[in-house]
Amino acid sequence: MKIICIVKFVPDVDNIRYDFENNALDRSRVRLILNPDDVCAVSVAFQIKDRNLDTSIEVVTMAPVSVKTYMEDLIRLGADQATILCDKAFAGSDTYATSKVLAAYLEKQSYDLILTGTHAIDGDTSHIPAQVGAWLDLDQISGVTWVDTEGIDKRKAYFKVDKENEVIDFEVKLPAILSLSRESSYKLPYIKRTEIDRDVSQSLTFLNKEDLNISECETGDYGSLTKVVATHTREYQKKECHFVRADEEGIETIFRFLEHKGFIE
Amino acid sequence: MKKCLIFIDGEQVKESLDLIEVCRKLYPERIVETYAVSNKWIDPESLKGIDHTFRIDGDRIKEYDTRNLAYCISKIQDEYQFDSILIPATWIGRMLAPRLSILLQTGLTADVTEIQAENDQILLVRPAYSGRMMASIKPVGNGPVMMSVRANVFHNEISDDHKGDLIPFSYNCDQICGIREMGSFKKEKSYDIRESKVLISGGGGVIHNFEKLEELAQLLNGQVAASRKIVDKGIAPRYLQVGQSGKTVSPKLYFAFGISGAIQHIEGLKNVETVIAVNSSINAPICSIADLVVEGDACQCIELLLSRIRQYKEKNNSRS
Repeated sequence: MKIICIVKFVPDVDNIRYDFENNALDRSRVRLILNPDDVCAVSVAFQIKDRNLDTSIEVVTMAPVSVKTYMEDLIRLGADQATILCDKAFAGSDTYATSKVLAAYLEKQSYDLILTGTHAIDGDTSHIPAQVGAWLDLDQISGVTWVDTEGIDKRKAYFKVDKENEVIDFEVKLPAILSLSRESSYKLPYIKRTEIDRDVSQSLTFLNKEDLNISECETGDYGSLTKVVATHTREYQKKECHFVRADEEGIETIFRFLEHKGFIE
Repeated sequence: MKKCLIFIDGEQVKESLDLIEVCRKLYPERIVETYAVSNKWIDPESLKGIDHTFRIDGDRIKEYDTRNLAYCISKIQDEYQFDSILIPATWIGRMLAPRLSILLQTGLTADVTEIQAENDQILLVRPAYSGRMMASIKPVGNGPVMMSVRANVFHNEISDDHKGDLIPFSYNCDQICGIREMGSFKKEKSYDIRESKVLISGGGGVIHNFEKLEELAQLLNGQVAASRKIVDKGIAPRYLQVGQSGKTVSPKLYFAFGISGAIQHIEGLKNVETVIAVNSSINAPICSIADLVVEGDACQCIELLLSRIRQYKEKNNSRS
């Protein structure tokens, strides 16, 4: 069976600092990582391939050229093919325009299953999987925490969704889109030593807007239906605040404070 | 007059009805007519504040069949031409809204936390860059204003007893839903941090001592919560996460141990009475909203506080 994983490389957000003096985001210390939910999606694909040898996996991303090395590593880990949808015109796309580009590529491909993450840690809109589902008219389910990687075949897949108060078992007819959640704790393996220097350039493809037959006005800022008109840091109303240290005197203050407010019975 | 359609998630009716408040904020100077559509049958009597409720006649759409739900709602939109469509950011809502936005070819803004509306110019505010900044987003194009809104961010507090009417709408599934539920089991009842009066919350500063928070929570009759960092590391489950990508909470006491308090976290605190922040840096953003700031090592502070409260309780017990 053919599996396509849609992935995104995101800034490791914990390392983004806001530079208050220059009113800008300081990304100098930020490296890219494979979005955590997408890690689970790719891992599930690898597990399916391990158990069903006639499986082929393609990873697809819309991103700048700079993700090349990350995509190459996914090939070294076990993906058969990697495709980067890359064009200056794509920059600034909102989720509507982004999903359109992804769908323009996917509608010309054959596949049995599309795997994605549920959330991306940078934008955190969760729009893309369902939007791609709409363009391709496929069923899509988010929050998947388990896939029956042994029982899957070209016609159907079994999987679980973990909602806060219940776990639901589903069957889905393929092709369909399953979106994994990082709660699933599927993990990627490490690259084998023998693979580290393997030349994988043959398996990597770059496609631009002409290849995808997308016009300038359909993508980027022009093709977006939402515009960010301003960004600002929020100012919180400063409260009257007491400062203490985490020493015995400070602890006594906290204790009295809690007692005074009625939190200690 | 403006017309708003609210999607009612059959499993979270109250939270969905809170979106009536968003309609008011979108069109402060207009009369707003509210419409509702749901993925479950809901007695219109329980939809207080909604003027018109659609009853879908025809094939039954499965609750989780967002494909047919989206087709159905897009047909309703074709006929009724709503000015805005509001969807709660629940499991179903998060799958439905993006799908519908494509069918309607309209922009969608996720997780809106604030509405700025003036002379029918609408700006939707949401956190960006993982909550380090706020972004004001303008919907462009000709479609309705579409957004998803998280539970507990807006509250519909105007009680309204007027009865709405039912509008039958005929829809037959264009597509057969390929998804089938095979079974489910309820999880052991876990607490909901949105209902907690006292939350003992931990972040990166207590990453190695997170379990200590539980002890303090018990002594203060509270519950444990966590920041995104802790949840992403797998130390605490997601349902304990406070913040933009977690839950919005309103406890009486919020104890933040080793949480720096990026906007995305602080956005998750609404109407909290008292905040105590324990942090190694008094410049951490969380300190700006705290009533009491404790400068120092969060782990050490927990230990000292635990023994102080225990000492008090033992004394009290021996007296009684």
